[in-house]
Amino acid sequence: MAPTIESVNQGNGGFEGNNKRSDRFVKATWKNKLTALVVDNGELCRVLERENLRAYGVETVAVETGEAAVELIASGSTFNLIFIDMYLPTMSGPEAVRQIRAMGARSKIIGLTAFITEKDEQDFFAAGIDEFFEKPLDPDWFVPIIREVDNQI
Amino acid sequence: MLGLGADRLRADMNRLLALLFHQGVLDEQFLQLQQLQDETSPNFVCEVVNIYFHESEKLLRNLRGLLMERDFSDYKKMGIHLNQFMGSSSSIGAKRVRNVCVAFRAASEQNNRAGCLRALELLENEYCYLKNKLHELFQIEQQRVLAAGARYPMQN
Repeated sequence: MAPTIESVNQGNGGFEGNNKRSDRFVKATWKNKLTALVVDNGELCRVLERENLRAYGVETVAVETGEAAVELIASGSTFNLIFIDMYLPTMSGPEAVRQIRAMGARSKIIGLTAFITEKDEQDFFAAGIDEFFEKPLDPDWFVPIIREVDNQI
Repeated sequence: MLGLGADRLRADMNRLLALLFHQGVLDEQFLQLQQLQDETSPNFVCEVVNIYFHESEKLLRNLRGLLMERDFSDYKKMGIHLNQFMGSSSSIGAKRVRNVCVAFRAASEQNNRAGCLRALELLENEYCYLKNKLHELFQIEQQRVLAAGARYPMQN
């Protein structure tokens, strides 16, 4: 079936934006207040990842660099989930994860990249991530992860 | 009668979207952007697409700048730019642009400068086509909103 504006948003029209975003996301209710950190150098990815998570009721902060993420954790901030890009300027995603884990952070860390390679997968998991996915964020895989984290608290 | 204008414009939007999907220019990820648009952020899709345009043009300039260097050899830097371009293109559903980035990345990994140059030209063309079509889509949407608003002001 060809895509149409009507088919997007449960009958409320796609571009119109005249419905609350919660029409779709109201099904996601969590037992706990959940927090997430997004680490991505690209503004577009950062905005979309943050807004996707917020739409599912996860309080989300987004930073541009590995250094900023490490500083945030070092200052005492804690997050249930961390979504971090593989390729970050200066401090790479794996290096940032190593430092975050070395500080004792027990967050569920999800590595992200535009194109998964075997080497990247090995490097990132060796650094301490729990999951690795190709962008973009897809509710089909991130909602079960959020649910799992929520159930473990 | 005024309402027919909005309906006709909606039909035009749907036809253009169908064409872009059929051509593989966009995929369903583009439609997912609209899930994040509501009355608190009524221009979310447009704003996000503008961020994509801004980022993409910067990345294209960076890629061309690298390849135009006489003694270019920093394929790793090129890979980083391409990775960002792939990620952002996937995130808004720009399928064909993303696919060209994948081919470009393959040439970059082989340190194939000529292949990278060819891929860059293709990428610039694909991006240009996408940008023009998205502008067209947003223009029709603006006209549709105006037409719908002018129809029966008291109904809302």
